[in-house]
Amino acid sequence: MNPYHQTILDYLEKTEHLAVEEKAALIKAVKEADRALTIAEFKLDRTEKVKRTTAILLEETIEELEQKRAAIEQTNAALSKSLEELKAAQSQLIQAEKMASLGELTAGIAHEIQNPLNFVNNFSEVSRELLEEMIEELDMGNPEEVKEIAGNVISNLEKILHHGKRADGIVKGMLMHSRTNKGEKEATDINALVDEYLRLAFHGLRAKDKSFNAKLELDFDDSIGSIEIVPQDIGRVILNLITNAFYAVSEKKKNNSPDYAPTVLVSTKKSGDQIHISVQDNGDGISSAITDKIFQPFFTTKPTGEGTGLGLSLSYDIVKAHGGTLRFETQAGKGTSFNIELPTNKQ
Amino acid sequence: MQAKTIHGPTFESVKAALEKVMQEGFQPTLAIVFISVKQDRKSLCELLSTYDIDILGLTSCGEFTDQHQSEGETVMLLLDLPHQHYTILFEEIGDGTLSEAAESLALKTNEAYAHPDLILCSSGFNSRGEFLDGESLIASLKNHLKPDTRFFGGMAGDDKTFEGSFVFTHDKETNHGIMSLVVDADKVQLQGTAVIGWQKMGIARTVTKSTGNLIYTIDDKPAVEMYLKYLGKEEKGGDRDYKVLEELGLHYPFIINRGSGETVLRTPLGIDHQENAMIIDVEMPVGTQFWFSVPPDFDIVDNILDQAARMKETSQMEAEALLVFSCAGRVNVLGPLTYSENEGLQRIWNTPMAGFFTYGEFGPDSSGNQEYHSGACCWVAIKEKV
Repeated sequence: MNPYHQTILDYLEKTEHLAVEEKAALIKAVKEADRALTIAEFKLDRTEKVKRTTAILLEETIEELEQKRAAIEQTNAALSKSLEELKAAQSQLIQAEKMASLGELTAGIAHEIQNPLNFVNNFSEVSRELLEEMIEELDMGNPEEVKEIAGNVISNLEKILHHGKRADGIVKGMLMHSRTNKGEKEATDINALVDEYLRLAFHGLRAKDKSFNAKLELDFDDSIGSIEIVPQDIGRVILNLITNAFYAVSEKKKNNSPDYAPTVLVSTKKSGDQIHISVQDNGDGISSAITDKIFQPFFTTKPTGEGTGLGLSLSYDIVKAHGGTLRFETQAGKGTSFNIELPTNKQ
Repeated sequence: MQAKTIHGPTFESVKAALEKVMQEGFQPTLAIVFISVKQDRKSLCELLSTYDIDILGLTSCGEFTDQHQSEGETVMLLLDLPHQHYTILFEEIGDGTLSEAAESLALKTNEAYAHPDLILCSSGFNSRGEFLDGESLIASLKNHLKPDTRFFGGMAGDDKTFEGSFVFTHDKETNHGIMSLVVDADKVQLQGTAVIGWQKMGIARTVTKSTGNLIYTIDDKPAVEMYLKYLGKEEKGGDRDYKVLEELGLHYPFIINRGSGETVLRTPLGIDHQENAMIIDVEMPVGTQFWFSVPPDFDIVDNILDQAARMKETSQMEAEALLVFSCAGRVNVLGPLTYSENEGLQRIWNTPMAGFFTYGEFGPDSSGNQEYHSGACCWVAIKEKV
């Protein structure tokens, strides 16, 4: 008991100046006051202790959270750096894939350029001979003959110009294929694009493997016309699908009877506001064990060094970026069909 | 049913008090005894046997009645409940397991009455200093008791010596076992609840390494270092005499969420210096999420009393006796307010009351889920149905 309360209590118990009821009431009041004081002292003491401990607990927690925040910031910075490096690596890989496909095109391009060059050379040779004849006719004073020869020379020069421009177009296309993509869409004749890359791919493969041959079937829908695409990107997709189709049929040819006729069917079709481009082969088809992996980056069935494993992955991304879809159907032993769907509306 | 409470600092004083009430014509059949380990339990049991009074006894950690509060003494609630309305069951764990003992007690309870309810008691610490796993006890009981059987009670104390806390009846006692007063719920009504009051503080933590009752790491940091540092006692890390339970554990236990949304406390009992691990009263497996806590606000007493008043009003029950099982940690945390709490409960029910400070509590939380608690005030009002 509080000593002051005890003093009062002692006094009350000894005193004879109070009635019994008064004394009892006062003694009870003192005891109640002492109890209230005890509770108040306890509350004060506990409040101080709990306040102190709680403050420490919260300070430590705040410090810990601060450390966690700093660690997260550091991790974030490291992740951002890694992301940038990853993007740079991806960009390099995409460029490498472009160069790889360019390599595949090189033989085809050479073949394509060889034709106009032959024309240029032949017509130049013929023109030179015609001009020699023209000099002779001038010496002989035959103006009519001179005029006729001059007309032939002009005609030859027009052909030379035509084939020169064709070679120029092929070289420009090659440069466009390999240059960094700025992602600008432009109106593109889909049938012409498909035809161009089909020929390049075919001649490219023929140039590398003289024994290779395949039946090419084309089924183009002339109503397609032009749609807005990034031509070098979609061209890359078509090239990749056609190259894969030729690879599939050539692999099957190696392992099959002479009766097997490798065939690649390329078709285009307009359906409503969608353009369908299909590349179908009669190869061995894709094994069910790998059908869920073929669009994964770096997945390839080709021998090491022959494929980057990025072709289908990039193709998938390119078609998706155009708002379209790239799907495939395959049957074991019967072949595979890759189908591109592109929207005709501008996006 | 009539009920009376008696108390005394010695065997002789208790004996005199008992003789006095019996001379007044009271004929109790059952004594619910809360007694300090310092007192003579054996003589008391013999005395009660002389009068053919059944015993449900627990050693205490401080004890109280509606008239008296003490430490190191004896209190008892005497009831003249007809013998056929209750049964006392005693299960020593011995070489078996706690779950087996609980299953046995549950099956006997089920057989005792069509609708049994329980006053459930258990030992707390045994002589090897091992703490009884209250969660396992309740889990096993819930598995085997009839679904509508309710239980209220507590774990025996031992005046914070942690050398052995006992449950006992006439001829048996154990510091490694369980005991219950099974009542016929068709004849005896029990009404009560358990309230905790500790609050979460800071952020959610996760146990990242533990074995049994030992926690090695919290959020991958050494648990001992973190617990002491965060509670401002970092310098006590190497002090093998530092009383973790009394100085920190009782005030700042861990809180975990139950599935029901209610919370439960997990109390740090000490430090295993050899293992550099916290010793917890109940296992906290790896992945357990918990919070540091702060003790209840002072208004917890008012909350408990408000809740009791509402329960009384809702149940329209006129209790004839009241038992209170209040966690020993509450004395350290709420000081003299614990007595205000007990007195308040007695005033609300206006009936003879006895209780003691426990090492664990059993009873329904505010959602009605029957659980093992730590840091709770569990009370139960008793009435014979007529």
